[in-house]
Amino acid sequence: MSIQNILLFGYGSHGKFIAEGLVEDGFTVQIVESDEAFYLQAIEDGHDNALKVDVTKDEALVALTPENYTQLVCVMDDEHLNVFLTLSLRSLFKDSYLLAISDSIHTTQKLHMAGANKVIDLYEVSANKIHNILNRPVATELLEEFVTRKKGISFRELEIPQNSFLHGLMTDDIDLSEYGVLLVGILDEELGNNFIFITAGINHKLDSGDTLVCLGNHKELNRFETMIKEKEIPTHA
Amino acid sequence: MNQILLSIALFLRASKRYKHTKSFIRDVLTNANNPYKKYVDIMIIFLIVTSVVILIYEVKNPVPEWLDVYDIYFVSFVFSIEYLLRLWVHNDLTELIAKEHKEAEFLQRDSNPTSMLKIGLVEKVRYMFTPTALIDLLAIFPAYRPLRVLRIFVLFRVLKLLRYTKSINQFMEVLSNKKFELLTLLFLLFFIVMTAGIAIYVLEERLNPNIGSLFDALYWALVTISTVGYGDISPVTPEGRSISILVIISGIAMISFATSVIVSAFSEKLSELKENRIIEEVNKSKSFLIVCGYGQMTKMFFRQYNNELENYIILENSLDRVEQARKDGYKAIHDDASRYDTLNKFNAEHAEITILCLTASDVENIYITLNAKSISSKINVIARANDSSMMSKFKHAGADHILMPNKVANNMIHTAITQPTMYKAIHAILTGKSMARMDEIRAYECEGIVDKSVKELAFKRTKLLFLGIQREGTFMFNPPKSEIIQKHDILLVMGREISLDYFKNLYEGEC
Repeated sequence: MSIQNILLFGYGSHGKFIAEGLVEDGFTVQIVESDEAFYLQAIEDGHDNALKVDVTKDEALVALTPENYTQLVCVMDDEHLNVFLTLSLRSLFKDSYLLAISDSIHTTQKLHMAGANKVIDLYEVSANKIHNILNRPVATELLEEFVTRKKGISFRELEIPQNSFLHGLMTDDIDLSEYGVLLVGILDEELGNNFIFITAGINHKLDSGDTLVCLGNHKELNRFETMIKEKEIPTHA
Repeated sequence: MNQILLSIALFLRASKRYKHTKSFIRDVLTNANNPYKKYVDIMIIFLIVTSVVILIYEVKNPVPEWLDVYDIYFVSFVFSIEYLLRLWVHNDLTELIAKEHKEAEFLQRDSNPTSMLKIGLVEKVRYMFTPTALIDLLAIFPAYRPLRVLRIFVLFRVLKLLRYTKSINQFMEVLSNKKFELLTLLFLLFFIVMTAGIAIYVLEERLNPNIGSLFDALYWALVTISTVGYGDISPVTPEGRSISILVIISGIAMISFATSVIVSAFSEKLSELKENRIIEEVNKSKSFLIVCGYGQMTKMFFRQYNNELENYIILENSLDRVEQARKDGYKAIHDDASRYDTLNKFNAEHAEITILCLTASDVENIYITLNAKSISSKINVIARANDSSMMSKFKHAGADHILMPNKVANNMIHTAITQPTMYKAIHAILTGKSMARMDEIRAYECEGIVDKSVKELAFKRTKLLFLGIQREGTFMFNPPKSEIIQKHDILLVMGREISLDYFKNLYEGEC
């Protein structure tokens, strides 16, 4: 995975934990705060490059050069400020990828209108989780483990390299479970990077450049990743 | 004598079977949440209705002998058994005697079980004189046909219905709240009827051929004050008519007063009655949800279900929010879930209850968790925690699942940043909205798959992606094709809902 740099607005109840997780995963994170207390907290937590900026000022935002970052994440604790910030960033930088957090249905709508590419609704995701816990407790728990990689089984995106033996094969004809991994879906370049679930029932032709989303053990995934570079179908895993 | 009494009491007290039987019978007779009570109630109501139907039928038609036997012996027999059982479970004589014995032992004095027996029996006699017990007793008397007057006892059987019909009980309960007003009114009525009756008797006894006795006069007064006015007795003197005028006016005033008292009693109790109905309704189902708090989270939670959720009830502290919930079309009641009495109304013993503590306050949520667990450890509690420092407290309180909205959202954001493509996939799996959802198949619910190998199961045909098996708490990812499914396995699969339904259908047929 290429190293990404993230511009993170807000170091409150969300920013603190998101920053921590991202740094752990090897991302470069630039923290921006307008609140003195949160800013000091960021410095204290070891984010030495944290900046204290008045995010309501356009010049200040431009000075941060957001165009150099792969993603802009707005998680300010102040809901109004968060919407305003999203709006300012969108009007200043048309092409940036904007991710924002919302804590109510109404804010979600406002953030979408303000131009956020993706809005995560705090209550929606939680309510969803309760729903899942009630209806499929085991599946929910396991999925969470896959996502947080607690048990060594996780999702991974694998791009099909040039000359791979997978090139030209149909999804119905391959069974990856022999190699210890399961194919969850495909990201097809030709179809405008649409994600297709394997269970959608579409028999799809694999091409070089497509991305496979696989689920598997860390070790098996590594092995499979090297294997798909081969020209010929390996005799056996 | 004392010795024999004591040993019987101690023997019965030690007998588990006796205790169990008694508590079972008490539960069936008195606990509205007992699943068997319904059947007992239906049977008794059936007996009452049939015996009334027989009474009406026999006015004009001869009754076959078997019906007579049924009415006189069978119904009475069942009713007397019921009466005796109610008397039996009303209080515990053995308990009293045993308690006295223990106290006597402690104080090293001679125990006197007879005195305790007396106290217990007095209590039973007191029960026998309560209105419901009297009705029960009178209802036992068979409708002895040759004596017409005795048929009136059948009407006691009708009165017995009171015990078995909730709405009449509630009506009485509402009226009993206005006891003072109604008694005052009754006293006033009595006073006016007596005065007017005596007055008309004194004034018209000699002049009016219809008034022959004081009883006639009182009868006239009551008929007049109730504004019924049959007209069989009417005053003939101007004095008598003046009294009539006064009686009629006071009659109208009293009727309106009585009506307003009853109406206000009902309007005061209306919301409570409605709420009780909702609770009763939900208590009937085998498993249901109690959602505490009606805020953002609850609203979102209900959105997930698209109004398909049926067995639930919302408890909310604030009246405004209850109003809001009702406007939104949800079953909500205004009650404090942290109170013992509130949660105790629910049928924790016979139903599977899941409580969602979704209020915005951690303190409140912990309190509700503790409250629920103190009522029954069987209650499943899913609690919302806002602060990570609260996690251990929730665990300590016994919450089965703890959910931190902030943490869930943070994880989502983290995934959205680090694995943007996957985020879409994972989000779709989590919400189950699109092509894929992750779901579980419980082998014991779908017995057709038990003892089959993974290879034999039609995952490919149903377009399901088989991920693994959860067996005895451990997850086997992508198990070998030869793995045999066991009865308590949970299969983890991914796919469309229709695929899953199809798969389940496929194997249900083989059960």
